[in-house]
Amino acid sequence: MPFKRFDQARPFATLTVIVIAWALVPTAVKTFSRASFFELTAPITVAASKVRDLQEYWSLRLHTTNELIQAGQDAAHIASKFEFAVSQNQELHAEIARLENLLRLPSFSDYRYEHARVARRDFSGWWQRLVIRKGANFGIPVGAPVIFTGGVVGRVAEVRATTAIVELISSPGLRLAGVIEGDDRPISFQGGVNATFAPPAGIVEGVPLDIIATPALPKRLVTSGFGGVFPPGLMLGTVTRAAIGSDGLFQFGDVQLDERLGSLTEVTVLVPLGAP
Amino acid sequence: MRRTLALFASSLVLWALVTQLNDALAGARVYLFAGALFVAFAALTQPHGAGLAAAILGGLVCDAHAPVAFGLHALLFAAAHLALFRIRDRVPRGDNVSAIVVVLLTNLALFLMFSFTQISASPVPAAIWPRLIADLVCSQVFLAVITPWFFALQAGALKLARVSRFDA
Repeated sequence: MPFKRFDQARPFATLTVIVIAWALVPTAVKTFSRASFFELTAPITVAASKVRDLQEYWSLRLHTTNELIQAGQDAAHIASKFEFAVSQNQELHAEIARLENLLRLPSFSDYRYEHARVARRDFSGWWQRLVIRKGANFGIPVGAPVIFTGGVVGRVAEVRATTAIVELISSPGLRLAGVIEGDDRPISFQGGVNATFAPPAGIVEGVPLDIIATPALPKRLVTSGFGGVFPPGLMLGTVTRAAIGSDGLFQFGDVQLDERLGSLTEVTVLVPLGAP
Repeated sequence: MRRTLALFASSLVLWALVTQLNDALAGARVYLFAGALFVAFAALTQPHGAGLAAAILGGLVCDAHAPVAFGLHALLFAAAHLALFRIRDRVPRGDNVSAIVVVLLTNLALFLMFSFTQISASPVPAAIWPRLIADLVCSQVFLAVITPWFFALQAGALKLARVSRFDA
């Protein structure tokens, strides 16, 4: 009888042994194993991404010459606008440098722009992450800000040999300081609940009481620059609702993020100059 | 060893397929969770040691790509394997319908257990459930469609590795 009882409990005993054995494995071994399993499967991710690029290339080859000429003209118009913006940008940078010297202010961090293709998107209800096709081989550091034309994408969470994982701003695990455009009081931003078939979302806390945000009168939320990770003024999203919190001192609210976060194919990593 | 490697190779194919589908569905905010498929075939038809090792290896691959404690998927898959292995004599083997039912129930249990471990990270834990339920429904439909194919793939992999399909 006792043998039969043990036989019934054998799966649980086996599981207990596995759990205890796993708990006793040193952290260094677990970290090494994690990296090894990631690198084992990284070629699959990168190869699938390159196959998609090839598909896109061949679909673009199907365009007619007239369409290409039109696209070239559009690109030329955009390039001329950007040339003007670049010259203005250089003047503004020179002005900032002059004022920093004059007022003896600490200068803003400077960045190297590293453009990277998105290899894989992983948007579950628990987390939202991207795998990009550049990693330690391009000197990308952990924690570097990642942006796109619509504003902030997220932050580099892990760096591997040829890939890096970016945690998106819609991910509940990401928190950062933002400000309402035109205001200088910091607000806490966190990724929120991302409903199915709905645009990505986040939440804000610590919103001053005098700020009114409604769906009809939304407010733009931008990075504050505090903490030194994200440069100031980058678009985070739009605060569409602000309501008074339980303490009555601050408001909390909802932030609608850029819908393009779900379909990104290329992003830019801001690598701080002087990063190891 | 060959048996474990053949099962693990099939798990890698499944992992690649599911991640590519999730990539394609990212814009619609739909996520497929197919944890049960890493476990079910091995637990229902394979010897204990080889099946458990394959389930743990499959779990470690999932762990390497997820922002969770390394080993969480592996332990959940091991638990599911042990539970299924215990009841497998009462489940008809080689029958697609029963295989699908077992996979769906296992996936439901794994999804819920995994969700309970992760839900504390959400700023509004109660509000995340509609999204998780939508993901679960999509995952179950996907599993119902893919299970016969994946079982056949694993059987084919074992045949290629020249090991018997069923545990004697």
